[in-house]
Formats: sequence, structure tokens, C-alpha cells
Amino acid sequence: MKTLFILNNPTNLSACLEAIAKEDALLLIEDAVIIARKNIEYKHISLFALKEDLIARGINNTDASWELINYGKFVELTLAFDKSVTWL
Amino acid sequence: MATFSLLITANPYSNQGQYSALEFTKAVLEAGHIIKRIFFYADGVLVANRLNCPPADELNLTKSWAKLAIEKDIELTVCVTAALKRGIVNQAEAERNALTSESIDPAFELSGLGQLTEAMLASDRLVTFG
Amino acid sequence: MKSVCFIFNKPPYGQGSGKELLDICLMCSAFEMPITVIFQGDGVLQLIENQQPDILNIKNYSKTFKALKLYGVETVLIDAAGLEKHQLVTENILNIGEIANSKIIQNVIQKTDFSIML
Repeated sequence: MKTLFILNNPTNLSACLEAIAKEDALLLIEDAVIIARKNIEYKHISLFALKEDLIARGINNTDASWELINYGKFVELTLAFDKSVTWL
Repeated sequence: MATFSLLITANPYSNQGQYSALEFTKAVLEAGHIIKRIFFYADGVLVANRLNCPPADELNLTKSWAKLAIEKDIELTVCVTAALKRGIVNQAEAERNALTSESIDPAFELSGLGQLTEAMLASDRLVTFG
Repeated sequence: MKSVCFIFNKPPYGQGSGKELLDICLMCSAFEMPITVIFQGDGVLQLIENQQPDILNIKNYSKTFKALKLYGVETVLIDAAGLEKHQLVTENILNIGEIANSKIIQNVIQKTDFSIML
């Protein structure tokens, strides 16, 4: 089953990536959106970042590997994947 | 159409998680899906305190949840064990614990952790905000 | 019945999240959901032997971890990388599960219907 990993704290990135398998996806929200400035090139998983949280933080130089999404797409993603794990 | 439940543990005024959860809930409803239950746990229960008085130019999360719950008929369930520890009590619990008044906003309801498990079993998705 | 996986990834006592996650786990067990418990990263510190949190007036819930099998928890996985990071060997920790690498942990997370961490 494919899993959507939701990350809200950038310091948890490496631990979260350890748990991610191929075909999973990573969605950055809240403080974790800072990660979207870089290409993390990991297992070819899909990468998403919440646009509102980027705008709020003045981060406009995101790497093209990240798809920027709104809350509507966030909801769609939770359904496109079999489940979500919020990595706290 | 899918059924969602949310587990919220974020401290309302120390973390962004409650706001994220609120926006997510609105987006779920806008997309025509169903919210089975929103379960507040750990520090997340603090949002149910009707005595919360954020400054007028800050979002009142308690009122925001309450408004959404009343308009859209959503269950806001607060873990009773986590709540009592943090001073969130209804009339019955206030009397049982010899407290001078209740403190829970009427849009929220105290209940047990079983309500979370029951919501999981009745939902297609559980999304956590911490 | 839907299955659920609980991922413990924080050390004990500094925060309440270990006990809070365990309480959800026990409730799901009461509903007879198939349960997997994973101790990942710093979460392996939850399993150190001879904890005495009563010195801090905190209940020793690590005793409940020993009873997970009695609560019907089918699988308990302990992250090998977490043990290595903290220079722990099996003799230092509660013997309640299998040592697993990240690949095995990934597979287990993928297989369950819900995964919860706090």
C-alpha cells in the first residue's frame, strides 16, 4: 500500500526518509517546507510542499523537483495514497 | 465520497498544527467528503478551553473550530483523560472533581480514547496533525 | 478488521508522547485491531532495561511494553539503526521484539491500514 508521509518539522527529515519506500510520497507542511529549496533526490518518490506555508515563510526559490500544492490537493493526495503517516 | 477522521495533538498556540488541521478540514468538506470525527488528544485538547482569550488580532482557534462544527455538524471529541489533566472540564467533571466551574467550550465533547479507535474503524482515512 | 501500526520514535519521559501513543495502542487492542509496534530511531530508548521513572514521580509504563503480546500485539520491531546509534545491544533492552532493518520497517508500515506516531 502506498503511503503519503506528511512532515512538519525539518529536523525529522532523515528519520522520515528512512521509513519511506518506493512509490510513497513526501508532503512538506509548516516549518518543513524549507526543505523544498533543495532537490533531495530520494528513491524517486513524489515530492510535494504546501504552497500556503511556503508563501507565509517567504520561501519562493523552491527546487523544481517539488510540486507545490494547496489544501484541496492535500486532501486529494491523502486519498490518492492508501494512507497517510504524519511523521512527528 | 470518502470519510475522514482527524487526530490533533498540536498545542493550539505553540504550534501551527491546529490551524493546518482547520484548513484541511475545510478542504475535506469543500471537496464533498465527510468528516466522521475530529479527535483532540495530548496538548491538542487545550483548544477546547472556552476561557482561551487570544488577542483580538489573532485567530481564535476555539471559536474557529466551534463555528465550523456548528455550521457543518462535525463531532469535536476531546480525550477526557488528557483534558482533565489540563483543566478542560464539563459540568459533570467539574462537580466530580470539586472545581468551581466547567471550562469546555460547548461545541466540544469530552469522551474516551475509544472514540478515536471507533472513528478509525469508520473512516477511510485518519490524518494526524501534531 | 483494519490494521494499525504504532511508531515510537522519541525517548521516554521528557515528553508524554510515548505513554500517550501506548494508550492509543492499548485501546486499539481492546477493539481487536491487528497491531504492529515499531521502535524507531530514538524510540529504542523506550526499551532500555531498569528504567526507574518513579524517581521523577512518573509511572513506569515500559512495564506495559513487556505485556504487548498479552494485549494481542502480533509484531514488535526494534530498529537496528536506532540501537546502533545509541550503542545498545539486545542485552541492554527489553526482549520484546525482533531487531529489524529499515527495509523490513518500511514493508510493515506499507502493509498496515493506519500508522500513528505522536
